[in-house]
Amino acid sequence: MKPKVAFFDFTGCEGCQLDALNLDAGEVIDLLNAVDIVNFREVKTERTDDYDIAFIEGSISRESEIPRLKKIRDQAKIVVALGSCACIGGVNCLKNHLPMEEALQIVYGKDARYYDTIPARPVNAVVPVDYYVRGCPPVTAELVKVIKALLLGKKPDIPNYPVCVECKMAGNVCVFERGITCLGPVIRAGCDAICITSGRRCWGCRGLVDDPNLDSEKDILKKYGLTVEQVVEKFRIYNTYAEVTK
Amino acid sequence: MATKKETVLPEVNKTFAMTKGGLKSLVEGLIKDIEVFGVKPKHGKYVYDKIASFKELCLDYDVTVTPPTKYLLPAKETLLKFSLGDKSKAEPVIETTPRAIIGVHPYDIKAIELLDTAFMSTNPDPNYITRRRNTIIIGVDCLNPSPKSFASSMGTNLTETGFDLLLTDIGTGYMVTVGSKKGTELLARYSQVREPRGSEIAKQKAVRDEASARYKLSLNVPRERLPKILEENYEDPYWESRSAPCLSCGSCVMVCPTCFCFDVKDEVALNLKEGERLRQRDGCLLVDFAKVATGENFRHTKASRFRHRIFRKGKYILERYGRVGCVGCGRCAIACLAEIASPVEAFNAIAELAEAKEATIRRTREARPETELYIPRLAELVGVTELTPREKVFEFRLLDGRPLGQRPGQFVEVSVMGIGEAPISISSSPTRDGTFQLAIRKVGDVTNALHNLKRGDTVGIRGPFGNGFPLETLEGKDILFVAGGIGLFPLRSLIQYVLDRRNSYGKVILLFGARSPAERLFLDELAAWSKNPQIEFRETVDVGDESWKGNVGVITTLIPKVVIDPKKTQAVVVGPPIMYRFVIVELKKRGLPDESIIMSLERRMKCGVGKCGHCQINSVYVCQEGPVFTLAQLRNLKEAV
Repeated sequence: MKPKVAFFDFTGCEGCQLDALNLDAGEVIDLLNAVDIVNFREVKTERTDDYDIAFIEGSISRESEIPRLKKIRDQAKIVVALGSCACIGGVNCLKNHLPMEEALQIVYGKDARYYDTIPARPVNAVVPVDYYVRGCPPVTAELVKVIKALLLGKKPDIPNYPVCVECKMAGNVCVFERGITCLGPVIRAGCDAICITSGRRCWGCRGLVDDPNLDSEKDILKKYGLTVEQVVEKFRIYNTYAEVTK
Repeated sequence: MATKKETVLPEVNKTFAMTKGGLKSLVEGLIKDIEVFGVKPKHGKYVYDKIASFKELCLDYDVTVTPPTKYLLPAKETLLKFSLGDKSKAEPVIETTPRAIIGVHPYDIKAIELLDTAFMSTNPDPNYITRRRNTIIIGVDCLNPSPKSFASSMGTNLTETGFDLLLTDIGTGYMVTVGSKKGTELLARYSQVREPRGSEIAKQKAVRDEASARYKLSLNVPRERLPKILEENYEDPYWESRSAPCLSCGSCVMVCPTCFCFDVKDEVALNLKEGERLRQRDGCLLVDFAKVATGENFRHTKASRFRHRIFRKGKYILERYGRVGCVGCGRCAIACLAEIASPVEAFNAIAELAEAKEATIRRTREARPETELYIPRLAELVGVTELTPREKVFEFRLLDGRPLGQRPGQFVEVSVMGIGEAPISISSSPTRDGTFQLAIRKVGDVTNALHNLKRGDTVGIRGPFGNGFPLETLEGKDILFVAGGIGLFPLRSLIQYVLDRRNSYGKVILLFGARSPAERLFLDELAAWSKNPQIEFRETVDVGDESWKGNVGVITTLIPKVVIDPKKTQAVVVGPPIMYRFVIVELKKRGLPDESIIMSLERRMKCGVGKCGHCQINSVYVCQEGPVFTLAQLRNLKEAV
């Protein structure tokens, strides 16, 4: 029996689902040989409530999403958070710094009264999560790695070290040496430092490592010329939820 | 080939001269035949990368971001390919591509020699060996060292081994040393060299000397001493404090040429039929490096990981492989954003600690030269007070006019020439005037002789000796004094000290017990303490008489009567051995931790200077490490209580 896999989207851009199966043709066939994809809005219209593995995309930002998520948790044997919004709250949590009324006004203006909103939160703030596929968007290889681990019955091997490790392996010149600041030293690796290798910096989309030395990272950012406000802003983009709950 | 006449057959271990054109034809010849890696500029730094033409190659760089060891031990490589299932099979995957690395600095060559030892001696590693045998190493002397490098201190700024060819840029051309038969063949096939002129040999020496003078950082201790001083400072608080800003980001180990630790993991294809076993670079600075499946992490603190890395660099690698574990390239210091990774800085800090400890030993030696160790200083008896028929307080002043300089809780050796010497605890606080008091019970020859002294008589004094009470620990705390009988003699020095500095402490409670009313000591002071509103004073006698109206019962009966906060209180207990046992039980009932119960031990201390051995209990000399101990310390000393 092939495990039945379902994808669900909550508050997010749905880019994770779009990017999730950006596999080459051979891999898609291998994947479909290994699992039954039963719910996947971006791929097929049929739906069912019978599934084993639920991938949750997006953060939870409306009251009505909570019972819906709990129902999925009850049904699924395994729940996997997919992407930054689901794993760590992501950019949606930026609104948590505002009163919810004000956030609604800014976004919907005079139509605000038709909408409800609550402070955004990651999936694990509502239901227990078994595995995480991190990133904005997630690394396809990591999604595949998690699926393979589930099929083999082992724990997916997701690094608990910072991006610096992979950045050094990639042979990059540290962006700090070029006057650019970066969150890499406290952000979980697994992305092969793709942003830095491509000439950018790390904004922290994969979330913090288990025991980040935030004080030291903040001191370093200040040493490299950032103000306290700029430092806070840097962390907020993806990691507001971790920041406010600590 | 016009220069053919000048060319020679380049023998191993000899140095020749080569023109710039000669180098070009060597490099381009190699590029035509095999993969060539060398140094290129990138974002204002230098990196090793594939070289497609001679003009891409940079030979006058300072240091590269990551070392060339990645061509021998890649960040990630496949060890095995396997199939899953019943008849699972595993095949080794060994890479055999021939390569040349051009422009390797001597410190990196030394690092490669370490990898050779680690991977090619015990349990030879087939992947490493194959790659190593297929790799040509052409070194170049580093004439422009990085400001973070200290290779000259590690003896790795120059090398005579580990390369096939080694170049030195002498301006007009290159000197080339042949390091192997492969090197001879390379020159014969791709280039020409000639015997160097005297001026060229002199120039090579000059540029090397100039380069070694350019190193800005140096080790302040001979590197042979590193293992010993590291070992001696394993427990030093330095590791904790220095590692506080560590991000555990692993940058230091990822850029290190002598780091070669790895992780091994399986990756399976989506068809779940076949897979690969990979090894991937790993490092001891990373949080989970020493974590086992049960969740236990054997190096879970930043300090322990930071220390382990420095110990590997300065001690473990040298001891295990007989080669220097840090080549002083300075890459880790450049990569570390927290600016704490530089081994030379850690080594120098530890050297400074070691030096400070040795200086203390030297100072002690100078302060008490051997000729004076056993010579007493003369002290005049300036006052005598009888406490009981058996006990008197003697007040002395040193004839040299200097104060005794004691800490409360220390003791002196008192001598009466012809009779002998005895250890006597000091009963007065250094906060009182220039004399010191010794309260003495008449129990033996020396104390009998002392009891016969009159004002104006002199005795000999050596000391003060011993550690005394831990004044720094007591500062700001609530203090519970428990004195039994003549235990009050040493404790009085601390009681006086605390009362003279009363504002520096919290609540002060003083409990005193004597066997009988007749054996109560320092009656005036007992009366003064009982009236002092700044302390809570309670006393008891074991057996009362008709005149006694106070508490009757052993001292332990007083403890339940006082209110103590076990988190803030330090108990200082001095009395006969039997008393300690019962007082400890009572204090433990009140929740006091072992670290907060302080005791002074009485032992036979003949010399006072840690030599004669009489006062030894298990591993400690009471006259040196004692006589004051916490209960926590005594728990490890089985003979103590």
